[in-house]
Amino acid sequence: MLGYTLRRLVLLIPVFLAVSVIIFAIIHLIPGDPVDSLLKVGSGPEQRAEITARYGLDRPLYEQYLIWLGNLLTGDMGTAIVGKRPVIDLVGQALPHSLVLSGLALLFSTVFGIALGVIAALKRGKLADQAIMGGVLLGSTVPSFWLGLLLILAFSVQLGWFPVSGARTWSGLVLPVLTIGLGGIALVARVTRVAMIDASQRDFVMLLHAKGMPPMRIQLRHVLRHALIPVVTILALRIGWVLGGAVTVEVVFARPGLGTLLIKALNQHDYPVVQACLLLLAMAVMLGTLLGDILQAAMDPRVRAALQ
Amino acid sequence: MSISFRRAALATSVSFAALILAAPAVFAQEAIFVLQQDEVGVPTYNVVTNGNTNVGARLIYDTLTVQDADQSFHPGLADSWVEAPDGMSWEFTLKTGVTFHNGEPFNATAAAAWLALYAATDNSYMTQSIDKIEAVGESTLKLTMKNPDPNLLYNLSSSFMGVVEPKAFAALGENYGVTEAVGTGPFKLESFAIGSETVLARNDDYTWGSSLAVNKGPAKIAKITLREIAEESTAFLELKTGGVDMLLGVPTDFLGELAKEPNITALTLPGQEVVYMPFNVTKAPFDDINVRHAAALAVNQQEILDSVYGGVGSVANQFLISALPESKVAPEYLISYDPAKAAELLDAAGWTMGADGVRAKDGVPLSITLWTQSDSVFRRLTEVIQAEFKAVGIASEITTFDSSMIRDQYKTGEQQAAVRSYYWNNADIVDWFFGGDRLGYPNISMFNDPKAEELRVKAMSGSANGTERTANFVAYHEYVLSQFPMAPIYQPVQNIGYNKDRLVLPAEIHGTRIGAATILDTTVVE
Repeated sequence: MLGYTLRRLVLLIPVFLAVSVIIFAIIHLIPGDPVDSLLKVGSGPEQRAEITARYGLDRPLYEQYLIWLGNLLTGDMGTAIVGKRPVIDLVGQALPHSLVLSGLALLFSTVFGIALGVIAALKRGKLADQAIMGGVLLGSTVPSFWLGLLLILAFSVQLGWFPVSGARTWSGLVLPVLTIGLGGIALVARVTRVAMIDASQRDFVMLLHAKGMPPMRIQLRHVLRHALIPVVTILALRIGWVLGGAVTVEVVFARPGLGTLLIKALNQHDYPVVQACLLLLAMAVMLGTLLGDILQAAMDPRVRAALQ
Repeated sequence: MSISFRRAALATSVSFAALILAAPAVFAQEAIFVLQQDEVGVPTYNVVTNGNTNVGARLIYDTLTVQDADQSFHPGLADSWVEAPDGMSWEFTLKTGVTFHNGEPFNATAAAAWLALYAATDNSYMTQSIDKIEAVGESTLKLTMKNPDPNLLYNLSSSFMGVVEPKAFAALGENYGVTEAVGTGPFKLESFAIGSETVLARNDDYTWGSSLAVNKGPAKIAKITLREIAEESTAFLELKTGGVDMLLGVPTDFLGELAKEPNITALTLPGQEVVYMPFNVTKAPFDDINVRHAAALAVNQQEILDSVYGGVGSVANQFLISALPESKVAPEYLISYDPAKAAELLDAAGWTMGADGVRAKDGVPLSITLWTQSDSVFRRLTEVIQAEFKAVGIASEITTFDSSMIRDQYKTGEQQAAVRSYYWNNADIVDWFFGGDRLGYPNISMFNDPKAEELRVKAMSGSANGTERTANFVAYHEYVLSQFPMAPIYQPVQNIGYNKDRLVLPAEIHGTRIGAATILDTTVVE
């Protein structure tokens, strides 16, 4: 397992480099110039040239990329051109907020997704199954931006249970977590349901039934345990996506985080900040994928055997 | 029975706990304001190096001069000033007894050291006309100029020129403005979470309020939290539910909703924004001045004011905000809706009306592309203009660009006409948008006229004092208007929404926007 993990980690290096090239190229190829955000009325062409040179934006793109990558490898994410602060400080302040929000949303969607998936599998083909699957499908198709505003109107404006926005109290996390989490429930519930149905048709389940074990005990103790292998893999894969998905939700709920930072930096074309945020999100997806594969190998002896 | 009781008790407990947690942390003499949209995301209160500021900077720092809503200048930390007749030097007499938040005295030496900080920063243009800075005695600051700069008072009143304590600035390095920000203003920086909120605590030693404030002493509000809410709907709902006390910027679209709330009132301040339509003078058909003139006259400013902006604000008939003296051009230069004259001009230019309602010349239809940005209000406005153009025989197609990317599209020079706005309260905006050395962006009109350039240079750097500068800018502005490189459309107002059960604002608002003068005179209802 250790050898497998190390091999996978080494393989991440070229993926990281490829992703860094793509991110750098996209950011610099889309129209926009951070110098426009720095120039104020009254400044002339000389100031534009001076500022462009000050931030190295007059250098060839490959040179700018190599400088950025070189600094990155030493842990230096650069300084925000418009924000004028070390990017690592800006990201360091934003990231914990995003991690808490994403982590809780992932937990919420996992707990409720698995529970609903199990119920749907146990009630397969019945009204409860159809209602659960229909409900989670609907939840996953509602845009998070819209869902967030609906939740605010219902729970903050009408009922007054939670604050409309902000990160001042823990209760401010409830609605953003629900907004992100509701979308994730659908996937977890569907995968759980299919895996449960698949596992319950295995020979060992028939054997347990033949031995006279109570059906509910078989389902919850043996079938669910078996069915969780693909669910855990899916959850690991979702880590990066949930972090990325928090972007719009953070804006709706006025929460500090990577999303808020990224949107502002994108509007100002603040390249170092945008690059750092995108790279972090991409790394979360890469590491999530790796974690999913490792967990699958750890949980499934067949995968382990194949690797050996 | 027992289960029902337990459920009810549980539900009550959960609801009660949620209500306690959800209750905003508002206590007496504390107020929560929401920053206006363009001030969200400021990463530091370092006004010397940073290109963005918010109202927090206007409360932490005082400026040497302050500007009122009518654009006139008044004493701030400088009690008075004298400009040499040739404009080559200024002497500022500074207030005495002023201290920075860290206890350091504010005097001519501190002011000189603060001004010197701007060199080699992105904000260096603010002091670029200053050659030499001298502290003459304890409270006299002398500036020797490289060239006369009648705009100096404007720069000194800008929030980018809040007076920073030089020793703290040097000691804190890149943390200055983040962990600490030391000024002489009526509030001290207590905490700052980038992109989230700033907490300001009253400066109890404050006794040097500017001439724009009635209250010269400490503010009546003990603590202000400035919240950053990028989504306008969310900000509005916060005000509606009592989560915040004041929105420092309310979109005109929301005013109707605001009026329905019994405890909320809207306050209107003179605007600093102008909505206009630049024409690319190098692209057909707008390379013909008659077509530009006709297109400008085809815009029904009053209809736009009523239908798009609900009658809030005012029509724009020239390029500058109406509070500026340079906006007072001779009546013949004002541009107002006149479809009959527009038709006449197009006829004279050889564009004859076709059966399909579109004019044509030599078989080529008078059809243009109108660029606009993705914000919904700009889309609506552009559609109204499209209909108004159609009424005089100009066909137009709308192309929408993302607001953050449209500037780079302008740099291609491919635009024919665009609908946009600017936010600025100084006549040098005419130079910015029509200067021949900035073609593409910001000179979207690609206007590069020899006579205009001559007048521009005179307006920008050929004035020894404020009176001359105003006269030179009026002449430059008038000439630009006479060439129709743009059509003025609309001048918005600043809308502020606040909870009148919580806040009492002064009867008269001074300053160009909500700032120290207003906040010093604002009280929180106990």
